[in-house]
Amino acid sequence: MHQLIKPNRFDNAAEDLIHVKDLGYTYPDGTKALEKIDFQVQAGDRIALVGHNGSGKTTLVKHLCGLLSPQQGTVVYKGNALGEDHLATARLEIGLLFQDPDDQLFGHSLYEDVAFGPRNQGLAEEAVDLAVRQAVASVGLEDLLFKPPHALSYGQKKRAALAGLLAMQPELLILDEPTANLDPLQEQVFIDLLKNYQGTLILISHDLIFLYELCNRALVLDAGRVHHDYPLKELVEHRPSLREHGLDFSFRFADSRQQDIEAREERRNLTPDAEVRPEAPLPALVETRDLHYRYPDGTAALCGVNLKISPGEHVALVGENGAGKSTLLMSLLGLLPFQGSYHFAGQKIVAGKGRLVWQQTGMVFQDCADQLVCPTCYDEVAFAPRQFGLKESEVEDLVYNALKSVKLDDFSDRVPLHLSGGERKRLALASVLSLQPQLLILDEPTAGLDPGGEEMLLEILADLDVTLLLVCHDIFFVRELTERTLVMHRGQIALDYSTKDFLEDKNLTTLNGLDYTYRNRCALQIQELQHRHEHAHAHRHHHDHPHRHGELLHSHPHEHEHDHPHTYTHSHSKDGAHQHPAQSLYHDHSHPDHEQEDHDHDH
Amino acid sequence: MQQISLLWLLPVLLVPLVVYRGFRILLNIKADEVPQNERDWTVPQLEFTQGEGSPIHCWDVRFKLASFLFLSFMIVSLQQIQMAIVALLLALASYQLADIPWQRGGKRLLGMTGFLAMFLLMLPLTAVPQTGDQVFVFGQIEWLRFNMRGLDLAVLIILRASAVALLMEPMLATASLPETLAGLERMGVPPRLTQLLLISHRYLHLFVHEARRMQIGMEVRGFRKATNFATLRSVGNFIGMLFVRSFERTERVHAAMLARGYQGRWPQAVNFKARRADYSKALLVVSLGLLLVFCDQLLWQK
Repeated sequence: MHQLIKPNRFDNAAEDLIHVKDLGYTYPDGTKALEKIDFQVQAGDRIALVGHNGSGKTTLVKHLCGLLSPQQGTVVYKGNALGEDHLATARLEIGLLFQDPDDQLFGHSLYEDVAFGPRNQGLAEEAVDLAVRQAVASVGLEDLLFKPPHALSYGQKKRAALAGLLAMQPELLILDEPTANLDPLQEQVFIDLLKNYQGTLILISHDLIFLYELCNRALVLDAGRVHHDYPLKELVEHRPSLREHGLDFSFRFADSRQQDIEAREERRNLTPDAEVRPEAPLPALVETRDLHYRYPDGTAALCGVNLKISPGEHVALVGENGAGKSTLLMSLLGLLPFQGSYHFAGQKIVAGKGRLVWQQTGMVFQDCADQLVCPTCYDEVAFAPRQFGLKESEVEDLVYNALKSVKLDDFSDRVPLHLSGGERKRLALASVLSLQPQLLILDEPTAGLDPGGEEMLLEILADLDVTLLLVCHDIFFVRELTERTLVMHRGQIALDYSTKDFLEDKNLTTLNGLDYTYRNRCALQIQELQHRHEHAHAHRHHHDHPHRHGELLHSHPHEHEHDHPHTYTHSHSKDGAHQHPAQSLYHDHSHPDHEQEDHDHDH
Repeated sequence: MQQISLLWLLPVLLVPLVVYRGFRILLNIKADEVPQNERDWTVPQLEFTQGEGSPIHCWDVRFKLASFLFLSFMIVSLQQIQMAIVALLLALASYQLADIPWQRGGKRLLGMTGFLAMFLLMLPLTAVPQTGDQVFVFGQIEWLRFNMRGLDLAVLIILRASAVALLMEPMLATASLPETLAGLERMGVPPRLTQLLLISHRYLHLFVHEARRMQIGMEVRGFRKATNFATLRSVGNFIGMLFVRSFERTERVHAAMLARGYQGRWPQAVNFKARRADYSKALLVVSLGLLLVFCDQLLWQK
């Protein structure tokens, strides 16, 4: 573990809103979640609470809003320890956004749900109505004010859950992975709202770009202890810290992966220029014509989708939340009673009967818990081959190969429910790879993964030799894994072009409001910060300023040598070496108090 | 005891199917009917909106629930088919008064038809003959007797069940669920129970979605139900996993409620204020219930 480079105190003269003193907590099974936690939160702080999965972030925030009682130490809110009446008051002033919005939307309609908090605050019904309407309008859901929460899309649910907190006008807002699985447009809604939020903010996220936009202080947890408490900028600049705490996303930088991309393209026998889909007429693996589907409540989900995917193609499907991507996937699996024509590998697929497709298609769901039902990892991966009647000896080989391909070789006897998010995702992938599918469908594969998990998943996916249909908001994965991109909008495929053209498309924001380039810009900004650092070494300076020779004070150009720090922005060569831009030996710079120093140089 | 041709057995056996299919055709209900336009979610939603402003919609929920519940109990105590028919007509009238789409009530009845139609078959064939009963024997099959008193009883049960089922619509579907539950709470139902119902209604949809997603996850990996141990094991795993997920979810939902200031009472915005019209409507419905029973008793004594 690297050394702490700053003391555990963020210097802020403002009043303490929260003071955590020597906090410790152990779960009933003996797992130590928190140990000797000490820090203060001042009003107006914007804190990024980061660390590996299992480092104690969620347990800590549950203590901050009194959902867990400290077993050791105290949590003081506005000068009083959380408990009894003060706890009830504190909960009305602290807003906690849960990771899964369905946990938080327990009202009968969006209105009823958002009104829950203000009513608990004892507001009059007129004031409640005003608070609800304002909060719902601020997240852009005023058209769905009386819609039942279960009928909202995922992104809408996330915004609705935030509206439920904003209506309470909390002094402290704690958000747990607020933008996970959101499209860029909805993510921007969160960023804009939180930028304008005047209270104190604590954000838990693995998304460094999002945190960098909104926070100024980083509280880094490691194995239940506060490992760092310093300005976020310093954390972002310090790559070893990022890597240690599972936040290093430098694998996303294009230059560092260029060689990998080229190697993969060679393997696929594609030249870099041939990124667009092949012109030769190959028999389509997937072909749909005029596909339509309506939800039971009448909402049109698919409005005439025409799609053709050839064997070996790697296709990305992007679009805003609610554009119809997941519905299209369900239809391609033959699970929905769609209208229109659909052929898979030349055979007609009847709506609602997709067994033919299932044998040749593997789909990894957005929430991989949906497809993990067995008591051990081995059984999970063996589930599909067994269902299709393969012999147990064949099943064993397939399971072994599938687990190996996702780097879970030693996990055969582990319980899927006890795996981390990244391991579960890879297990879900193995569970569909065991059938050696022709078509692999990935629905938001990066959902809930930390950068370390993303990097490993990317390596695994890059090595697979299957036809790929990737549904993803992560522009980096789209760029790395696909050569063709389909943009879905309002139930239709609005654009179908090469990924290269998609990445350069400046008009997407006018189509669906999505700005996919935004994250790239932020990543580059952070990259530059990381590459900027200081060196101190002896070097010569050329000056022209007043200076003293004994009693004589005068000014003229002169040079002298001394050492002091300079800020450099370095780059990396192909072999990974650290390179500085050329610096002139002689350079000018400001020299405070220099005129008072004695000088000895030729005249 | 009267002997009839064996051929009469065929229509008797076909009665449940004929009733079910006939009812379905009569209502012209399609299995998966999907509305073509999305609703306007900017206004409060009931299951239907065209009836808002009807005398039943305007009725204080507490009076409405109490009156209709009383009427329902009166209806199930009826012994005469004539009075059961009157009760059904009353239910239809209240249904019409609430301006609820007929298809909705039809669907509710359809759900019961399969079960109720079985009474038409079972009761006449199983009723123990009593003195004065009219009993038919099918050909030479002596042990198979069709008792007309059983048929009367079956018709009576069907009429009473249909009347009460139809009353449920004006009683429960003319106010939002939170309002209805608030009314029940004011009538003395424990708050814990009403909160449980409210939360259950919300999360039932979610658990159904979760179960459906897990089912899809299994289906796309080739799962097909069969009569063997492998299926039993898979279904067991599925139910177990669903239970674990549901249990974990309930803990998180409770935490989320506490975090937003929940202290054991669901905050309610419903303010009940009884008006003269509410009392009058209640009096009318209660009187009708009593009148039904009174007439029924008169007929019974005859």
